[in-house]
Amino acid sequence: MAELTPFGFVAGDSLLHRLDARFKILFLIGLSLTSVRVHFGGLAVLTLALAGVIFYCRLQLKSAYRELRYFLILLTLVFVARVLSTGGAAAISLGAMTVCVSGVTAATLVCWRLAFIVLVGLCFVATTRPVQIKAAIQWLLKPVPLVPEKKVAAMLGLIMRFIPVILNQARQTAEAQKARGIENRKNPVYRLTRLGFPILRRSFECADNLAVAMEARCFNANRTDPELSARRRDWIAAGALACLCVALLIN
Amino acid sequence: MNIIEIENLSHRFGDGTLGLDGIDLDIRQGSFVVIAGPNGSGKTTLLRHFNALLLPTAGCIRLAGVSTVQAPVRARRLVGMVFQDADSQIVGETVYEDVAFGPRNLRLGSGEIERQVAAALETVGLAQIGEKRPHLLSGGEKRRLAIAGVLAMQPRVIVFDEPFSSLDYPGIRQVLKQILALHRSGHTIVVTTHDLEKIIAHADRLILMQRGRVVRDGRPAKVMMEVEKFGVRQPCAVRLGQEVTPWLS
Repeated sequence: MAELTPFGFVAGDSLLHRLDARFKILFLIGLSLTSVRVHFGGLAVLTLALAGVIFYCRLQLKSAYRELRYFLILLTLVFVARVLSTGGAAAISLGAMTVCVSGVTAATLVCWRLAFIVLVGLCFVATTRPVQIKAAIQWLLKPVPLVPEKKVAAMLGLIMRFIPVILNQARQTAEAQKARGIENRKNPVYRLTRLGFPILRRSFECADNLAVAMEARCFNANRTDPELSARRRDWIAAGALACLCVALLIN
Repeated sequence: MNIIEIENLSHRFGDGTLGLDGIDLDIRQGSFVVIAGPNGSGKTTLLRHFNALLLPTAGCIRLAGVSTVQAPVRARRLVGMVFQDADSQIVGETVYEDVAFGPRNLRLGSGEIERQVAAALETVGLAQIGEKRPHLLSGGEKRRLAIAGVLAMQPRVIVFDEPFSSLDYPGIRQVLKQILALHRSGHTIVVTTHDLEKIIAHADRLILMQRGRVVRDGRPAKVMMEVEKFGVRQPCAVRLGQEVTPWLS
């Protein structure tokens, strides 16, 4: 089951671990927005900076590699689609398909940006306790009218907790169906419905049990939240990052 | 002193099924009670009345003199419940956060929460893995984490619903040791099971249930002679005419 949750908190005492989660969310947003505005030069600077931070903080992200292979497959598909859908002077022709330099350039830029954003997200999740993420989201949502920030934060926490459980149930159900020869059925709709309904049923049962267990432990919206405190290092990091992003955007 | 007093308790579910039927029961503080019965006999339904997860259709249940209907939150603080399926009881993203869930709900201060969580994790022997994600724990560790989550709310009574189901031998030993340690530290223990073998040598009272009613109630040695009439298997030692020995020895 461990392999199902590569995007989890990894305990540590690095600078990134010690930064306030609210600042880290803002950094995540800032870096993502900057990465979609800059081109190769800017992206190279951002990527080098990120690599430096990962190295300096000694983050162990190897465990995430296995699951990131699915993301790499997605990136490959995006790359191919972008190359084939961008017009320009043909560099290579393969039958009806043409590959042009501008297509390859645009596809590389898009994939690089996506990979960068995912890596930043990974660093964020690996260095921030889920409870701090919840508290930061709750804090950031507080000024938004009509949004019950405590409920949203609680739901986010439960989703993070239960994704591995649901995935495990899905795997067990799939294996049980394989054992009874579901693979002999070639109709994908039949297979999907046979897999989907039991998983849904088990997930709802799981949700029911969870609700009872939470009630047994006095769950209510008015609970003690973890304390968040902005320190000098958070403001220094925010200043440094803001300078970097502005400089890249101006150039 | 009786910590739990039940008078003529009945519970009818929404579909009309009678879950509990006129139960009268007192549980003494500090006692170790085993409630046995086949599936559907009403064990879990009864337990859920102890901490006001279910409320009586008729009759009443009082915890330390106060009705659960009047003070359901007090009932949940007083009676901690360890569910049969530990996976659905664990709500935190890490071991530490799961144990802190109850104290946070009780709106304790941060320092107090830290103290309660540390003490609970220490008691169940999970203090070293506070940062671990719960779904990566073994079955026995998950059950101990569920116990820690309950302990952090400082209950006086701890009820266990089928605590040994789906556990391997080391897991059963871990959980049993934990239950006995909690009893020694002064907690009132109520355990439901349909498998008496592992626990009965440690209990001072055995209650048998069938179709929502208490059909036998007394000292284990006496009640055990009749358990098979009510769909519960006798421990092997009893079948062989011997005395039941503690399962851990």
